[in-house]
Amino acid sequence: MTLPKGFGSGGAGGSSSADVERMIGRRVENMTGIITISFIAAWLSTFGGTAAGYFYYPWAYPTPSGHFAFIVLTIIEAIGYIFCVKVMEEGSNKNSNGIVAATVGAVTVGTLFITLFVGK
Amino acid sequence: MAQMPALIPKEVEIQRLKKVWLIVIAMGSTAASVEVDNFVDGSLHQTSIRDSAFTPAHWWLYSHFITLPLGWGAAAIYDRKIPVLRGPNNSMNTGLKMTILGYLATMFTIGVNEMWHFWFVEEIFAVPNHWMFNMGVVVAFMGALAYVVRVYARLVELGAETPGENPYVAEMYKMALEGKLYSRSIP
Repeated sequence: MTLPKGFGSGGAGGSSSADVERMIGRRVENMTGIITISFIAAWLSTFGGTAAGYFYYPWAYPTPSGHFAFIVLTIIEAIGYIFCVKVMEEGSNKNSNGIVAATVGAVTVGTLFITLFVGK
Repeated sequence: MAQMPALIPKEVEIQRLKKVWLIVIAMGSTAASVEVDNFVDGSLHQTSIRDSAFTPAHWWLYSHFITLPLGWGAAAIYDRKIPVLRGPNNSMNTGLKMTILGYLATMFTIGVNEMWHFWFVEEIFAVPNHWMFNMGVVVAFMGALAYVVRVYARLVELGAETPGENPYVAEMYKMALEGKLYSRSIP
């Protein structure tokens, strides 16, 4: 197979597995860490957004409304996170169920804690 | 089954298609969360306490119309690495073009919509200030669906995804991959 410029052995033969690995870069099944960090960052941003609403504009965004939004947003973000990890690892022998369970569990506890104790 | 010619090694293509998949799932999750939140929370208190469209519960929805054009733009940048997804004359994928143009239309129409509300309060989607918004959303959804289905069909073609087990769905995939889903006369 003809490979893009800079890959392969310059016409002397086909592509080697090292070339293929170099073209792939970081494999999707090894991205669980960055996906998890992104999910936690999205969750914290969601908290920041709702908190900005009920701390700075309490007349327009009552705390229970903010907490309701925070819970709904967190649930859907968590579903997206689980999808991301499961789809990226399907077909490989990687299994990050423990990391996913721990992250979703921690976020659930954090969400409950925030909705019970944070607000105006 | 008719296979598209492979211009890059199969393993590389599968990994790149899955990276596009990752962008799409992340965007879908973000968009779904702000949309659901807007309906359950924004609509609720816009109706109950009659606040304006600029109050915080609506910020989530507006973030969506910035995230989606930029997110699909990111998908378009990465998409250049997957030859099978190129559009006519090696341009951007047609589905991506439609999606980005559609969401850009919605993004700008939000501003028009808010100005309109200075003299007309009700949010009726049939009135003219919403026309470009409505058309933008429909065009964007059609383009996104076309693009996502193309990525999925290619993953099925490469053996990285399993098509539906329902025989009718499996037949549809087979016909789609043979280019016969919509027309049996034009292969």
